[in-house]
Amino acid sequence: MRDKVIFLVIGAVVSVLFWIFRVELYEAVYNVNGFSDQMYNTGAYGSVAAITIAMSWGLAAIYYYVINSVKFDRWYHWLAMLGVASVLTPVVCYIVIANFLEGFDYGTAEFTFAFYNILFTALTFVIASFSMRWWSSNCRHTPIPQ
Amino acid sequence: MKLFVFAIGGTGSRVLKSMIMLCAAGVRPVDSNGRPLNDVEIVPIIIDPHKSNADLKRTERLLSAYGTIREKLYGKNANANGFFATKISTLKEVVSSSQVPLDDSFIFNLAAVENYKFRDFISYNTMNEPNQALTSLLFADYQLENKMSIGFVGSPNIGSVALNGVKDSNEFKAFANVFADGDRIFFISSIFGGTGAAGFPIIVKNIRQAKNIDAKNKAFLQRAPIGGLTVLPYFSLMESDDKNDKRIDNADFVVKTQSALEYYNNTLTGNGRNAVNAIFYLGDHGHNAPYAYDPGDKRDQHDPAHLIEMVGAMAPFKFLSLSDSELTDLATGEPLPTKAFEYGLEHDSDFIDFSGFGQETRQLIYRPLVKLHLLYIFLRTGLNNIIGQGFTEDSPKITREFTGTQFYRVLTQQFFDSYIEWMTELLHNRRHVTLFNEGEMDMNKAIHKVLTKKGIFGSKKVDNDVFKAEMNKLSRDNNSYGSNPELKLMDLFYTAAEKIITDRYDNIN
Repeated sequence: MRDKVIFLVIGAVVSVLFWIFRVELYEAVYNVNGFSDQMYNTGAYGSVAAITIAMSWGLAAIYYYVINSVKFDRWYHWLAMLGVASVLTPVVCYIVIANFLEGFDYGTAEFTFAFYNILFTALTFVIASFSMRWWSSNCRHTPIPQ
Repeated sequence: MKLFVFAIGGTGSRVLKSMIMLCAAGVRPVDSNGRPLNDVEIVPIIIDPHKSNADLKRTERLLSAYGTIREKLYGKNANANGFFATKISTLKEVVSSSQVPLDDSFIFNLAAVENYKFRDFISYNTMNEPNQALTSLLFADYQLENKMSIGFVGSPNIGSVALNGVKDSNEFKAFANVFADGDRIFFISSIFGGTGAAGFPIIVKNIRQAKNIDAKNKAFLQRAPIGGLTVLPYFSLMESDDKNDKRIDNADFVVKTQSALEYYNNTLTGNGRNAVNAIFYLGDHGHNAPYAYDPGDKRDQHDPAHLIEMVGAMAPFKFLSLSDSELTDLATGEPLPTKAFEYGLEHDSDFIDFSGFGQETRQLIYRPLVKLHLLYIFLRTGLNNIIGQGFTEDSPKITREFTGTQFYRVLTQQFFDSYIEWMTELLHNRRHVTLFNEGEMDMNKAIHKVLTKKGIFGSKKVDNDVFKAEMNKLSRDNNSYGSNPELKLMDLFYTAAEKIITDRYDNIN
């Protein structure tokens, strides 16, 4: 039990760290003059990171505790869920960024940034999965056994 | 408490086989309040000189498989709950090593009997003429010529002589020495054959007169609570191909039964000094299918399982459920007059399913047998596809290698092959015992005339996924199995089945 709580705490801490260092991380993978400045100035990074974390944890929670079925307990089911998260989250983030940067013409950059955000979504989904899966009755060994 | 079960003759072996099936299903003796009795250990002792008897061999193999499976599950611990809960030991296992040498077998060694013709056994040729004449009056020629390695061919007069030497055997001495205060004895025998009809009263006599034998616990033995299942005719035999072979004749069954009952009435029951504490009478005249004629030297008595044997297998459990005060005068320690039990079905029919039994029987066997049958289906159709997922990945893991272990092979092949053979024989015999639908591997339809409950969206479903989900739940954070994946699998399934039967099947109790 203690190990499981430690995993959960680590996952939560890593997610919080991701949010704290969101600017550095996002700009490390995608830094374009103008666009990145606007993202920083408008505070869009904070919202995007928060949405990414929330959706990853939320979708992982749906997989492990709502779906939680013996029919969907294989690694490829989990991978499909990761795929859903990786598509859905950037789409939502793209819409949010477009909102933040209304009046600017960063169409391509917004799209590319959203594309790069797939990486962070997948990463946070994995972190969320390994933080919370232990208490799932049917999917605790997905994607790999404990 | 040890229960020494003397299974005598072919019927003894067949009833014992049914008893093993019930024990495997998790049927346990309960006290008068319905609570399972603790520390019960069953010690079967098969008495049959006919060693090549197929029914005896099948029972022996089954006992061996049971022992292998149980030891892996619970080790030497007598207390367990679940499949194979009741500990079944050989006489050698319960006797300390310092005592007489014994085979590690469930079969009583009758070497002193089985190697002889009856004529040689009684030294007929060395008798003087008047004794030979008297012997010829008591025994027919075919009986004198009978090779006792095929049993006593329905002749209790042979058995009563030949089995008199049982008390001098190492096995009987070992039994007498190991028998302790609180232990009980149960006999299973038929009354219309040779070995059982003779063996039961003789061994009871030897026990009740134990003061004459050299055993340290003979005082306990003399006053031992003794129960007996006496099986009256429940099958008939076809005529022999050889019209002159009349060694066993259907027509004699009833006459022999009447004579033996009269003898039992005078010696084994009531309040006589050789009386047993409880006797269970069981028979089924008129609803039987004739078996092939076989005195023992034709086809080695491979007879199909029968409802009577299954019902008879419950008698030892009933006997154990009787309290000491119901069997013995607690003030004097002397046995009380014999309690007699009979058995009746709920409905008299040629086709018996669970509803055909009375409530007491249903409460005893319904859930355990359903669990065992569902386990059979699960192991045959589900487990292989589940390995690597869910509960199988919890510690201790159930891996692919698990299905190659001796435990798994004995369980799924040796034991469950015997189980299905037993069920099939029960089904095709008369009466037809149809507890489960033959060949049905769909858990929703497996129990005969028992449906799944209605839910909001139609009937509730029972399948391997339902079991997997329930076992997943039970296995999470369960650290009670140590490094025993066998126990984990069986215990999880047993507990899951208990809940699933309650939640999803119609209640017939």
